[in-house]
Amino acid sequence: MDYVKSMIDKLNVEQIKIELMNTAYANDNTYIARIDPRILFIWYGFFGVVPWFIHNEVILFGMLAATIVTTIMTKVSKLILFILILGLLGQGGYLLIASLFFGGDIAVLQPLLMLTVKLAVISLASITVFSSMGPEKLSIGLLSVGIPGQVSFSISYGYRMLPLLLEEYNHVFMSYRLRGRAPDKKGFLYWRYAAYFIKLAVLSFYPLLLSTAKRARTTIEALETKGSKNAFKNPIVKKLKLSTLSINWNDYLFLTVSGLYVIALFVTNNYLTKEFF
Amino acid sequence: MNPVINVQDVTFTYPNEEEPILRNMNVSVNKGEFLAVIGGNGSGKSTLCKLMNGLIPHYYTGDFDGTASVNGLDVATSSVAELSGHIGYVYQDFENQLVQARVLEDAAFAPLHFGLADYMERAREALQLVGLDNYEEEFVWQLSGGQKHLLALAGCLALNPDIIILDEPIAQLDPYHARKMYDVLKKLHEHYHKTIIVIEHHTEFIADYCSTVLLLDKGQAVWKRPVKEALTAIDELTKCNIYPPQVTQAAYELGGRTSLPITLKEADDYFTERIRHKEPQSGQPDFSKKEPAASFQDVTFSYKTVDRSYNHILEDINVTFYKGEKVALVGNNGAGKSTLMRLLTGFRKPASGTVDVMGRSTSKLSPEQLADCVTYIYQNPEQMFIEDSVRKDVEFFLKARKRDGYEKKVDQILELFNLTDLQHKDSRLMSGGQQRRASLAIGAAMDPSIILLDEPTANLDIGTRKQLTKFIDQLENHTELVMIATHDMQLVSEWSTRVVVMNQGEIIYDGDKEGLFSNMFLMRKAGIVPPQIVELSHRLDFSRAAYSIESFVELYQEEEVAWIT
Repeated sequence: MDYVKSMIDKLNVEQIKIELMNTAYANDNTYIARIDPRILFIWYGFFGVVPWFIHNEVILFGMLAATIVTTIMTKVSKLILFILILGLLGQGGYLLIASLFFGGDIAVLQPLLMLTVKLAVISLASITVFSSMGPEKLSIGLLSVGIPGQVSFSISYGYRMLPLLLEEYNHVFMSYRLRGRAPDKKGFLYWRYAAYFIKLAVLSFYPLLLSTAKRARTTIEALETKGSKNAFKNPIVKKLKLSTLSINWNDYLFLTVSGLYVIALFVTNNYLTKEFF
Repeated sequence: MNPVINVQDVTFTYPNEEEPILRNMNVSVNKGEFLAVIGGNGSGKSTLCKLMNGLIPHYYTGDFDGTASVNGLDVATSSVAELSGHIGYVYQDFENQLVQARVLEDAAFAPLHFGLADYMERAREALQLVGLDNYEEEFVWQLSGGQKHLLALAGCLALNPDIIILDEPIAQLDPYHARKMYDVLKKLHEHYHKTIIVIEHHTEFIADYCSTVLLLDKGQAVWKRPVKEALTAIDELTKCNIYPPQVTQAAYELGGRTSLPITLKEADDYFTERIRHKEPQSGQPDFSKKEPAASFQDVTFSYKTVDRSYNHILEDINVTFYKGEKVALVGNNGAGKSTLMRLLTGFRKPASGTVDVMGRSTSKLSPEQLADCVTYIYQNPEQMFIEDSVRKDVEFFLKARKRDGYEKKVDQILELFNLTDLQHKDSRLMSGGQQRRASLAIGAAMDPSIILLDEPTANLDIGTRKQLTKFIDQLENHTELVMIATHDMQLVSEWSTRVVVMNQGEIIYDGDKEGLFSNMFLMRKAGIVPPQIVELSHRLDFSRAAYSIESFVELYQEEEVAWIT
């Protein structure tokens, strides 16, 4: 009982806010975070797409190992990893149960496992790339590969709004609790409490939308005075932004090591297949 | 003199409004002026400033008549972006003006988007001007309110405009940071020859820094005068719901009509001649025979920052508040005042130590249970609005508890706070003063034993402020403990029976206001500037300090009598 209470105390809106913001912003001191966004896009183009077309266990597990290493290198928030693992297990578990229920047998485990590994590689690659790029870096990176300024700006602005939204949400949630009334009885397995909190969590979105709409008005005006609309048409602005990017030996090193690893994987796999068959 | 801003016969009506907000407005501002714009809530101050930087008529498509020009550019035909190279605007809700995550990025945003190659140098220079050069890599939301405000200013300065407009630049700052803000403006005015326009309620600051004053009333310019002439026009100011500086009021109350003082220094000279000195006295309040209402034992509190280090907010707090006390909680921004209050609501739990409220530890109680006896009124009223009408918000607490006949009680409270006509309106769409009243009504409906008010007097004009003090006085009848966190030293000096001063998460003073206001060292440390009237009575070496204008007048007459006899 006390355990549940301490869980609720720890998992408050404040805590979630900090974990999310940490993922979005504060990872810029790691090795991977210093790599040029264009290089990261190339890397992601391989690790995020190729797994779909590979059905070989050795290579997939090898890629999984690589992305696990890079994910550890990004020092990503444990909350994000927890959610990811929960999602993967939930997905796999649900499919397993469904297939067993409809007459499948234990043999489905093997393909299911492959699917889960593929998803894991892609998810970890995404985490590696996107948690290492701060909003500004991501937006300049997108600009450099030809995405229109409006899109890349929206992304960087979305990141900027994130803490504001979370803060506002926290306040609204607090307002509900400071004036509302929690259920008297806890119910079996705390279900009454759970229902109450879920209800609050949903209700809190309505006031959030209303008050954010009002804030956004100032921001839009301020953006206008700061020249952001004109900037989309001005080629000099794009040139200035792109001039902050530079690729150095560190970037090539990262790409080379990754490339060598992948080649090594394929070679090893070939060798192993010859041995066994 | 060459006018840099020229507004002629401007009439403007917001879309969907019947009444024009500006009527035949005529104003001109000269190069090098430091102009204060004053006027009651809804007199058109912000609208006038939005006209000057072109947001009106470009962004608000209401009915617009007349002409306005800035540095020779016609506002109606120049774009907002074009104008912003000449005129910088710092909003009242400046937080929403910051568009990037880090300080340097934000300051560089405007010059970068105007395609200026030296944008980084401009940003660095602007940050240096406002004194934020050590925070370049800091995240915007981890800055204090005052720093955010300075950053918003730096964002404008990076474009190097000739004119800067600030809408209530110190409304949310403690007196120390408020002075810092104005010192930055003074530097920009004197050394960089900027024309500065501020919308300001604090006449003490106007007296110290501004050169001219523009009075607005009902969308018209009543007059524009040099500062001295403007602030001594006591009758006209009070008619428009503006407080002249305390020293000016005091001199006026004492029968002065000509050459009234407007700054402390002037007042010192003005009053000094006729005073004789006595020994100062002070006393300590007696806590011994009282019943505790809330207490903190060895309480610490910290929160995690984005890079996962811990930020210690409260350290080793030991304090007991007793029934029947009126406690003022003071200290600079970020001293831990709000956190201390939130610990009493149970929404936050201490990291170590215990907090007791009405004899029960908060660690075992949920915020909902504590809500039965504790009410917390937010600094920003908007954060309390969870329903879509005033009435629904006020009845939320009573309805959740299924109290009998709550409708009648809600009617009474709405009447008391003058909200009956507004009861079906969305609280978010009301003016600042109305929102404050709504937030107080929500608190009153909860009928608490302990009421906590966070900065209740920020951004209020005279009328709303009076209503607030009336409400607080009424509370004393059935509320056990009233606690107010505030920068408003006038409120502290007129109302409180006990003052707790916080600094960097610790309590550095706990006692009566006499002890606080006579301790210069303590005040400097906590960023407190005493109300003018208190400081004046110190300077005049009164036998005891005056805490309101009435008591100053009384004391002064006593001293005068003493001198004559």
